[in-house]
Amino acid sequence: MEQWLEWARGPLFKFAFAVMVLGLFRHLLLAVAGTVQALLRAGDTKIPYKVVFRTTLDWLFPVKKMNVNRPVYSVISVIFHVGLILTPIFLLPHIQLWERGLSIRWPAIPHVLADMLTLITIAATVALLIGRLGHIYARGISRIQDILLPPLLMVPFITGFLAMHPAWNPVDYNAVMLIHVLSANLIFILIPFTKLGHIILLPATQLVSEVGWHFPAESGDDVAVALKKENMPI
Amino acid sequence: MRETTPVKSPRLNEQDQVMTTKYPYYVEPYNETERPRRFLEAFSAILQHSNYGFVLDTYSKITTKCARCACNCQVFMESGELRDVPCHRTELLLRVYRRYFTLGGMVSSRLFNGFTLTDRYIDEMAENFYRCTACRRCKFGCPMGVDHGLMTHLARWILAEIGIVPKALVVAVREQLQGKTGNTSAIPVVALKDTCEFLEEELLENYNIPAKFPMDVEGAEMVFFPAVSDYLLEPDTLMGNAAVMHLTNGSWTIGTGYYDGINYGLFYSDTHLCNIVRKEAAEVKRLKAKKVLIGECGHASRSAKAFIPTFCGGKKAPPVINIMEYSHKALLDGRLKVKSGAILDRVTYHDPCNIARSKWIINQPRELLEAICKDYVDMVPGGQMNICCGGGGGTVSIDEIRKFRTGTGGHVKAEQIKATGAKYVVAPCANCKKQLREVCEDNGLHDVEIVGLHDLLLKALDLEYYGITAPEKKEEEE
Repeated sequence: MEQWLEWARGPLFKFAFAVMVLGLFRHLLLAVAGTVQALLRAGDTKIPYKVVFRTTLDWLFPVKKMNVNRPVYSVISVIFHVGLILTPIFLLPHIQLWERGLSIRWPAIPHVLADMLTLITIAATVALLIGRLGHIYARGISRIQDILLPPLLMVPFITGFLAMHPAWNPVDYNAVMLIHVLSANLIFILIPFTKLGHIILLPATQLVSEVGWHFPAESGDDVAVALKKENMPI
Repeated sequence: MRETTPVKSPRLNEQDQVMTTKYPYYVEPYNETERPRRFLEAFSAILQHSNYGFVLDTYSKITTKCARCACNCQVFMESGELRDVPCHRTELLLRVYRRYFTLGGMVSSRLFNGFTLTDRYIDEMAENFYRCTACRRCKFGCPMGVDHGLMTHLARWILAEIGIVPKALVVAVREQLQGKTGNTSAIPVVALKDTCEFLEEELLENYNIPAKFPMDVEGAEMVFFPAVSDYLLEPDTLMGNAAVMHLTNGSWTIGTGYYDGINYGLFYSDTHLCNIVRKEAAEVKRLKAKKVLIGECGHASRSAKAFIPTFCGGKKAPPVINIMEYSHKALLDGRLKVKSGAILDRVTYHDPCNIARSKWIINQPRELLEAICKDYVDMVPGGQMNICCGGGGGTVSIDEIRKFRTGTGGHVKAEQIKATGAKYVVAPCANCKKQLREVCEDNGLHDVEIVGLHDLLLKALDLEYYGITAPEKKEEEE
């Protein structure tokens, strides 16, 4: 079991993390390249960058946006994201792992806070799933990944919590840790291939939506020629 | 393919039964063989020559399907149908993109026997993308910044390239681009001149204002393009326009070479959008004018403002202003004098989506109205977050879907108008005006009058300041 665990948080983790980083880098590269190419081709390159920037910030920190639509769902979603981002990054044992491997470290949050964040995140995930499955239209437009990803994201949180609290842990410590690490690795690998890609793309989308309206000056003619319709009556 | 199971809203009655025929709107006969293949060919050509590719690519990676956009859609609010959730509609197009234009989609479709584009699926798109009014309100509800209006715009273009496009829109564009009259309402120049002369006489008779509709004046500052239907349907708006121009010494002209601001290309085809704005720019150039002046019309204003620079030379393209901007500036400059509180009845303002979403024209008309109205009230919500009249995206021209437009699409607006208790709804847009009149008629708001901004301005001009004594007949009326 211990060898498995060492493998999972050694080579497997490196592989999964690399897949995530490279995948996200590819996402970003494609979005940036696409935007640049679109701007080079656009007939009009005047973009209201200030407005785009402000809207981007508004949605990255959606304080103002929470009461607009589905307010309860939105508030829970924000809490969920806070827990999901802060807990794994600032948990002391995680930082110690980074220190052991790469000799880098940063301040950790107290264990009590980490525990609280974990429990809140788990509760928020359950609430989000209820919000999705209990809302007739959200359920109607949900894909398989929309329903399966939240529970998967919770596996490392639940197992991490159990590992930190042996008294509550019904099974072997190493077994829990193995599930913890494996599920986290799976998430890393899935990030670039699922909607979790918004981790890197979210700051770009407002700009993408704006630039999308800036068409190439000859696009209409070129499409007509490509479809052999340039001289056809309407 | 996921089935769209309409979820019945208790508010809906038999009117949605109309929508169960193949398409709710008339389509001219077209080649119906191999539609999926031709759809994909058109999609592919558009991706290659335009800028939509990276947008689709980004959107297909990030949509989270949270349904927050649904709360922003006035069609969904009323219909309560799954297919009217903006994200669901956008997914129709994204699914095709993923399957046929991304590596992952191609691989997974082979591995899992996935989605295939079928005739039925195309029919579903054809119907759903014309239930959207392209008002772009949903964009403000999307945490991921997905612009569903852009997706509707693109999907309609692809559909149009295989022949699926409402007949009402095609007929208008055909006359505008290839017809004898060169405008969507098929008004010949003779009739245009006749109408303008008549309006000049009316102005003189009723208001004593010797205003002119200048024709083909070379070197004028602005060339005027109203929605051409105004010449048939909105005499008061046009008289208001001319009166304001006359009193403020505006240098403007109507070009008899081309005088139509309407641009249905915005609703279904970038090719036509491009050709139509080029006609405007060419007319400005022919008359050696400097600016494009668009009348009271939302989509005409946006298509000129946003796409004349795109298709007619970027920074070198003539600047575009809306007539409300002109009047507002004249009011601030003190060139336009109005009688404050001249309009006694309660007035409210409807923001046309195409000029309000970008925050371009929101406060100007309100300031003008507040200057002339005794009892002005705002609609809630208004401004950038206004609710569409229900006839946006060209749907207002499709007469056969009137029940859908005024019932499902326009009911929320009707409630909004009712809540203001206004007598006059100012809707500075040819499409909004037609739609709102029908909305009021079909929703029992018979006392409400839909007018243009300049209709009211005309009544509130401070003629004494300009040394004009109003004719007696007018005073008796008041």
